[in-house]
Amino acid sequence: MSDRYPGYDVLNKRRTPSWNEQTRRVIDRRLAMPRDPHFFEAAEWLTLEAVCARIMPQPRTRPPVPLAAMIDVKLHERQGDGYRDHRLPEMGEAWRRGLRALEAEARQRYGVAFPALSTDEQDGLLRAAQDGALKHAAWQEMECSLFFAKRLLPDITAAYYGHPTAWSEIGFGGPASPRGYVRMGFDRSDPWEATEVKPGREAEATRSNARVG
Amino acid sequence: MARNAELVGLAALATLGAVAAACRSTTTRPSARSNNARAVDSASALLAFSALADSSVEHYRGSFHNKTMYAPLAVSALTLAASLRDLFRPRGHDLGGSVVENLALTTGIIGTGFHIYNVAKRPGGVSWLNLLYAAPLGAPAALSLAGLLRKVTRGLREGRQIGGVRPSKLLAGLVSAGLIGTSAEAGLLHFRGAYHNPAMVIPITVPPIAAALLAYAILTPKQPHPVTRWSLRLLAGVGLLGSGFHAYGISRNMGGWRNWSQNLLNGPPLPAPPAFTALAMAGLVAVRLIERSDA
Repeated sequence: MSDRYPGYDVLNKRRTPSWNEQTRRVIDRRLAMPRDPHFFEAAEWLTLEAVCARIMPQPRTRPPVPLAAMIDVKLHERQGDGYRDHRLPEMGEAWRRGLRALEAEARQRYGVAFPALSTDEQDGLLRAAQDGALKHAAWQEMECSLFFAKRLLPDITAAYYGHPTAWSEIGFGGPASPRGYVRMGFDRSDPWEATEVKPGREAEATRSNARVG
Repeated sequence: MARNAELVGLAALATLGAVAAACRSTTTRPSARSNNARAVDSASALLAFSALADSSVEHYRGSFHNKTMYAPLAVSALTLAASLRDLFRPRGHDLGGSVVENLALTTGIIGTGFHIYNVAKRPGGVSWLNLLYAAPLGAPAALSLAGLLRKVTRGLREGRQIGGVRPSKLLAGLVSAGLIGTSAEAGLLHFRGAYHNPAMVIPITVPPIAAALLAYAILTPKQPHPVTRWSLRLLAGVGLLGSGFHAYGISRNMGGWRNWSQNLLNGPPLPAPPAFTALAMAGLVAVRLIERSDA
């Protein structure tokens, strides 16, 4: 649900011609993702959850997208992207080392664990990582700015927009399988797509989105 | 999949036979003049129906972005109604028949103008890409053809010449030209489909042959033209066969007929091929008349 696509819920497509058995299986699996870590250790997991909450803050009005869990599953099941920056270690190792280093930086600078910091302090450390200013030995030869730009940011945002909750938020229809798109031109849309709200016509968009299938 | 293709093939052969038989039986009925006019009425009704269904689907796909896109729906529906009325009540009062004809003729011409504009205004202008994917240039002409067929029908019914030309020759010329245009349109769109099914060459081979034979018949009246007749009967079947193939094409798209809301728009156009049937029906009347040369 979002302000821009009022009343739109991509999961309403479940029993329509838009999705078939295969689509439902894939999305069910994503929705039923385990919420406890299988790849990360407890301390790394808590740091990851704190980092995700700063990078992709989520409204309290709906169940959050389980970002940390999605990244954990990706690493546990070794679902590689098919590419990586050659200056970074393999993705699992990069994440483990990066989270441990952030934790070490927090303890060195503030004397407490990363998740225990205030949000401003967490942001400060993340910005320093982005700027390449963190030099703790825990980073080893990994450049913190590279880890931030090529691993942390893409993995968290990709996890977020891979979840049906985010699809409903941005008016995305989910997998174009089996039903895809017909009207391809600019500013054209198919009846089975979400309707974007126009100023003063909120009720119309809500009505239209209730029918989207 | 192979089984499906066989079923489609069988169904197609059956319709082919039925159409051929139906076309044949009309030759032996009495009161030839009215029967011929009624046969052309059926042809213009079918052509108007094809234009109505096709423009409805395709303009819905285009979201009726331009309000004039409703015009062919209204005019083809009107033409269909007028032709059906003439078919079933030929002696009824003529309700401004020529108005409907001229409206259909004009709408088709203006529509062609709009389609040319639609192609030209896109990036790249008149290019293969736009000819294949923008508004189809030949489609609106079907409505003009339906209007012209109605004009000729009136000549046939009243047994008078139109512009100093026998209606039979006019009809044959009209059908011949219409077949070439429709065949070119099918050729362009089947080229877009990369002729992935061998049957896709049928609408670019049978219609031009029938058109050429029909044109030859105009030049050689008062003698039998059995090959022309059979080519037109075959063509009438081809039109219906085409819709069968297009239905099969829709089923082969992702999601098949269950995903009709996408595939009816994205797949091959279901109502387009019967335009050939309509022209073939009119062409058969023309050949009959030319053979006797009495109209």
